[in-house]
Amino acid sequence: MKVAGGTIFAGVSSTYAFRILTTPGEGLAGDEIVTTGHRWGMVIDLNKCKPGCTACLDACRHENNVALFGDDRWDIHWIRKVGLHKKDNPGVGEKSILLLCNHCDKPPCAQVCPVRATYKRDDGIVIVDHHRCIGCRYCMIACPYNARSFNFRDNEEWPNKERPKRSHGVAEACHLCAHRLDQGEMPACVEACNAIGAGAIYVGDLNDPESNVSSLIASNAVKRIREDLGTEPKVYYVGL
Amino acid sequence: MEIEFERIEGRSTQYRVMMFAFAAAVIAGLIATWVVIEEGIWVTGMTSRVPWGLQIVMAVYYIGLSAGSLVISGLYGVFGKTEYKPFARLAVYVAMLFLIAGLLSILTDQGRMDRVFVEPFVYFNLQSMFSINPILYIGHILICIVYLWALFTNRKKLTTVVATLAFGWAFCVHSGTGAIFGFGARVLYESPLLPAAFVAAAMASGTALMILLIVGLFKITKRHVDDVLIVRLGRFLAICLLVVVYFLVMENAYRAYVVELRDAAVYYLFGGLHSILFWFGLVIVGCGIPLLILFRKKTGQSIKWIVIASAMVVFGVLCERYVIVIPGLTHPPELFPGIEISSSVIEEGIATYSISFLEVLQALGVFGAIGFLFSWGLKYMKLLPTEARIDVHTPSKEVPSRPREMKVHG
Repeated sequence: MKVAGGTIFAGVSSTYAFRILTTPGEGLAGDEIVTTGHRWGMVIDLNKCKPGCTACLDACRHENNVALFGDDRWDIHWIRKVGLHKKDNPGVGEKSILLLCNHCDKPPCAQVCPVRATYKRDDGIVIVDHHRCIGCRYCMIACPYNARSFNFRDNEEWPNKERPKRSHGVAEACHLCAHRLDQGEMPACVEACNAIGAGAIYVGDLNDPESNVSSLIASNAVKRIREDLGTEPKVYYVGL
Repeated sequence: MEIEFERIEGRSTQYRVMMFAFAAAVIAGLIATWVVIEEGIWVTGMTSRVPWGLQIVMAVYYIGLSAGSLVISGLYGVFGKTEYKPFARLAVYVAMLFLIAGLLSILTDQGRMDRVFVEPFVYFNLQSMFSINPILYIGHILICIVYLWALFTNRKKLTTVVATLAFGWAFCVHSGTGAIFGFGARVLYESPLLPAAFVAAAMASGTALMILLIVGLFKITKRHVDDVLIVRLGRFLAICLLVVVYFLVMENAYRAYVVELRDAAVYYLFGGLHSILFWFGLVIVGCGIPLLILFRKKTGQSIKWIVIASAMVVFGVLCERYVIVIPGLTHPPELFPGIEISSSVIEEGIATYSISFLEVLQALGVFGAIGFLFSWGLKYMKLLPTEARIDVHTPSKEVPSRPREMKVHG
């Protein structure tokens, strides 16, 4: 009996150990609603994105109560817009680009999180459990895209009472408005870009070959940021 | 020759003043930590771009310091060098305290300290170095406790077994700490050499600290220690330093040689305040001058010079820890190779970090806590030997027929 029990224990524990060692970035948490079967991804058409427009940034900030303190050192940006030009050639090939969490298929942030507060949902969204995060900031170090922020202080502003107020001491990043996707709605940035901007942001199911994002990826020369790192980001750019 | 250990009386004015100073540092650290908890981490020098600061620098420094202390005890426990037995208890106790200091520094750096005692154990993540390391640290502390018990009860077999385990465990502890950075995604972190370099610097700084403690304590408490023991520790320190220099050269040569890393190498070596700490603090004060002192025949055998060299190494490795942690963060990850970011809603490019007063108080608080525990241990535990002499019955090539004595007053 003892031998049999030991064998079963060894088998179960080694299987569990093997699983957690060989599934980078997969979290164990997952109590929330997940849009099963989907694999959400984003396409941003830089040819359409208007240089001065901040509709998506403002919508994101309002929807998720993302804090802006007026100081670069602690301001939080789930999505930010940057201008690019070729090195040693300012003015040539000037482009605006939106940077946000890439919801990597192999997210380094989830891999390093000591409490699995950052994890990848079954539908591919990388999310932070704010009630579990201990605020070690290792995910910020591990993210190669500078896409993570830390709540350095409490945010007094609370424009959207339907979403939680952000409290200090935890890390956060874009969660692709998972709460909206779960309700069948598009993320706030997509809606704002369609309404006010130029309709440059698309979110859809990468598993569905007929989806808007799959079609755009198939019909355009899309690029992802630092694909060479092997993180398999799910934000694609047209015109980068 | 049986060695006798004893407690210190701890009734002198100096002792009481020292305990009071340590307690004051702890109170200051607690107040600073309370302010950080209440206000948020924005009151420190850390920012979105540089999310780790002085507390992480001090954590890796303290953890490193504990290594060398354990190595000194290992000279007796593992390698059977009985002449180092007088220092073994002290060394293990110091190793344990510095590990605790490292953990305290990490604890006070967390955004949500209230969750640190539960979540990491409930939601353990074997893929994270931050999950693996606490096991190594706590294991190290427990091993140190058993090790101390074996030394106190004079169990020779158990001492050898636990000392060997502690020795191997210490290598894992320091490699694991180095791996937090070495396995990271930042250009100036990512290096398989870093864990090994971390071990080398840990051994150098820990040995240097033990030299300072032994010489200082024996002098203050008017105990005798044979010069030759300190001279040998000095030689061991010199060898550790050579290994540190080797890793430094290799790592920087690699970065300078590989084209895509060259910009980062230039930034690291010549990019700002951290470069001054690198060249002046680490290379010149931390390695160059101590190596000259320790390898020069005249100064290498002078206790005064060995103490000076040790103090320089302790300072130099603190600089080394700073230049491991901070430049790796201030140097930005390259998002678009060959393309430059011309405008952004936030500042991109090279970031800056300045240590805040509150962080200094927090670091002082941790130092005060272990200083208090150390002094308390001297009074209530038999940590110090009555004397430390080379056993004349176990001749060694380096042992002079009549050991020279350190000049101790009183």
